[in-house]
Amino acid sequence: MEDVVLHCQSGSAARFSSLLETTEKLLEPFPCRTPPVFTPWFPAAADLRLPLRPARPAPVISSSAGLLASDSRAHTHTAPTEPHLPENKPQKHDVDTDKRCDRPHTETTARPEETLSVSETPNHLLPASPRHRAERRVTDLPQKNTESPIKRSWSVFTQRGVLLDSSQSLSRRFHHMVSVHRLHLRQRAKWVISEDNCGTAQDIEQVWRTLSRSVRSSRLPTCNANIQRERAEIWVFCDVLCSEQVGRFLKEELQLSGRISLSVHRLGNVFSM
Amino acid sequence: MTTLTRQDLNFGQVVADILCEFLEVAIHLILYVREVYPSGIFQKRKKYNVPVQMSCHPELNQYIQDTLHCVKPLIEKNDAEKVVVVIMDKEHHPVERFVFEISQPPLLSISSDTLLSHVEQLLRAFILKISVCDAVLNNNPPGCSFTVLVHTRDVATRNMEKVQVIKDFPWIVADEQEVHMQEPRLIPLKTMTSDIVKMQLYVEERAQKT
Repeated sequence: MEDVVLHCQSGSAARFSSLLETTEKLLEPFPCRTPPVFTPWFPAAADLRLPLRPARPAPVISSSAGLLASDSRAHTHTAPTEPHLPENKPQKHDVDTDKRCDRPHTETTARPEETLSVSETPNHLLPASPRHRAERRVTDLPQKNTESPIKRSWSVFTQRGVLLDSSQSLSRRFHHMVSVHRLHLRQRAKWVISEDNCGTAQDIEQVWRTLSRSVRSSRLPTCNANIQRERAEIWVFCDVLCSEQVGRFLKEELQLSGRISLSVHRLGNVFSM
Repeated sequence: MTTLTRQDLNFGQVVADILCEFLEVAIHLILYVREVYPSGIFQKRKKYNVPVQMSCHPELNQYIQDTLHCVKPLIEKNDAEKVVVVIMDKEHHPVERFVFEISQPPLLSISSDTLLSHVEQLLRAFILKISVCDAVLNNNPPGCSFTVLVHTRDVATRNMEKVQVIKDFPWIVADEQEVHMQEPRLIPLKTMTSDIVKMQLYVEERAQKT
């Protein structure tokens, strides 16, 4: 270090020595501190450990591009989303399903360009829980005869090609029933096709396949349907307005025998044909 | 106002119930907003007094419910550090990760007001953020799928038993490639601090999605 010259005003000796002391302190080398090693906050210790994930992949649901609907409303069947039940507890279908399907359409909104979806989850991706096991038991047997390994359990119908004529004629009996029960014409109703309606020539799976084919031709207005394999029933949901027309179609097209019944939420069976 | 500790009987369960209910709604909404599934399977519902989109596809609903049912015991014991909704491309490489970081205080003060109104408002804010997150994220490639990852505070294998709640819904340790993303972009969405839980949500987005 070179010499440092201190210029100061003349004064007392005490002041001068104090000034010298201060100057010496200022000229002392700065203390050097070693900075701590930088530890990045990311990734955290937990990030270095691999997480857990379900072994089973999420279901694959593809939009059936060829069957996209052109109408502005979506009709989707809401499956029961009951809370987790003990494994041996039976599945509750009726209440939840009915509740949701009884909603007026105005409550359901979806993007118009993709109103039709088809579940294409293969059976091997289904969980092996008892509720699905029951389904498998039913579906495994006739599988040899089916053309496709994919079995759908629910379908959404489009209104493409169907003109909903608001002034379409309801039978007097049906009209009377509507007015007696004060049903809303846009309320959802459910046709139930049971095994008894299938006759001897066909079984419920064959009826379901025929019904599924009708999806392609979009001949059922405002409808969505599902098969309840545990109950051996097919449920076809539609607007009250169209339900008589749908019922007639089901009976003729599916060649059903006996009477099929129409039920609405809370009231139960209100009509049959 | 009552003061409870984690050791009190129902505290962990209460938090787990609230969080799992929220996570169910959030997962449905993420799948809708990020277009992992066709929009036709979603229906508009109301939760936390705001509109949300919920799937009405039985298999998907069951899958989400089963997943959360298994996650619940981990949250209940405060063993879950993060619940991550991973959106993967066709090659099963992650393109987006919605990370819910959860932290629970060891001591808390609970009152009915705290639980019912304040927490609900905070969770509502998360839902609203998720519903508009597509504005800050790039489009995903077609054919995406999703999975849910659970990061535990301890080594995952030690928590394997806790998570195996449903017999037919097994859990495994995730692969490295399912977890790590190259050059992720971090997008913070929302954070909340309440008396019963702290949570933050951010998205890690892969820079090159296609």
